[in-house]
Amino acid sequence: MRKRWFFITSWLILSVGGQAMAEATPPSSNTSPLEEGERVYRQYCSSCHGKEGQDMPNWVEQNALGELPAPPHGPEGHTWKHSDAMLYRIVAEGWRDPWNKTDRLTMPAFQDVLAPTKIRDVVNYLKTLWTQEQRDHQANESEEEPFPDTVPE
Amino acid sequence: MRHIMSRFLRVFLLAGLAAVSFGIASTALAAEEGLLSLHYDVTGKRLFKIEANQLFQRTDEGMAWNPIPLPEDVAGGQLLAVSIPSTDPQTLYIAGTSMGVQRSTDNGETWQALNDTLPSQEVTALTVHRRQDGILYAQLANDGIYQSEDAGTTWKKMDSGPSQTVNRIIHSDMEGSMQTGWLYAVSDDAVRLSMDCFCGWRPTGGLDAGRVYDVAYNLGDPKRVYVATQQSLWSSNSGGQEWQRVEGDDTVLVALTLSPEGTLYGLNHKGELLQSEDEGQSWTYPDA
Repeated sequence: MRKRWFFITSWLILSVGGQAMAEATPPSSNTSPLEEGERVYRQYCSSCHGKEGQDMPNWVEQNALGELPAPPHGPEGHTWKHSDAMLYRIVAEGWRDPWNKTDRLTMPAFQDVLAPTKIRDVVNYLKTLWTQEQRDHQANESEEEPFPDTVPE
Repeated sequence: MRHIMSRFLRVFLLAGLAAVSFGIASTALAAEEGLLSLHYDVTGKRLFKIEANQLFQRTDEGMAWNPIPLPEDVAGGQLLAVSIPSTDPQTLYIAGTSMGVQRSTDNGETWQALNDTLPSQEVTALTVHRRQDGILYAQLANDGIYQSEDAGTTWKKMDSGPSQTVNRIIHSDMEGSMQTGWLYAVSDDAVRLSMDCFCGWRPTGGLDAGRVYDVAYNLGDPKRVYVATQQSLWSSNSGGQEWQRVEGDDTVLVALTLSPEGTLYGLNHKGELLQSEDEGQSWTYPDA
């Protein structure tokens, strides 16, 4: 019994402490926005979307509860088909697939965790995972739907 | 022994011949069914029918189907789809194999080809966006789905589409899309659905009903969807997440469309028009 409580307590301390330390880790002053986007990606996104944005098993198939696995962010995914405005909104506000029958969002919201500039940085980092043709397409889509004006330059 | 072998071979050959003949007949029937199409023009309150490689129109209260002359340069093609913008009844779009996409802005008096930036003219399905008249989607055989945002002047490949051959596509403004709506794609085995940002094709609910022919939805309530199959009509109140078989007279339709008032129209194998005022439970022949 004592052993189990020790395990649970240790797990909680490590989880909460690790998360706090991760959030407290300031970006280096000479970090570029793209490097910062990659750092944010690895910290918050990679556990679901893959370290390199690679393919996730059966990401197009919904489970019995209507939930979709996190899609890959590379060329084989569909992230590149969305405008900057849409990608920003999905990261900030999250996304619920209309066929999702659970209480969980399909994609969690990060606006309480990430500042607007960090959301923009991580979206711009995702663009490095696409082909040039996909980047051109997405840039075209974003002409009429750019990042929100509220994101500081 | 030789006699037995000879008889066995004869029976075997006859059985093979019968199987091949049956296969050819089935393919011919399937091909014939695929060439019938029906579309309701919301603004003009007309029905359009494709039959025997010709395009016909008829008011929803009229009796006669009037042929619309097609452009001469598509005579060698196979007409498969017609779609009308939701607010412009003078504009017609047609498409097919070996003819690409064609547009008329004077209700069929003259036609313009819209194929300059399409990589082939093998178009198997076409639909106009439900709300935005200038946006078109065309399915190219063995290629994928192309989108035009300028009424067909230029096209861009958006997606490879479902891996199954797509016979029909239809745009819906059902809520819940990341973009502006959804696309239903009809293949022989199922109806599939994608947001119009093309974020992956999802199968709609299970349909153990033989070949799938066509899909239509209620314009006033887009979650209300109907699918015509080899084994009668099915409906859904959830955009196709689940299907319920419509209890009725089991009329088999190979083409399906819906008026905004909720009247269902269908074509049977012979190309005859049928109409239902009770969500597909019973059908009448308005032309009879």
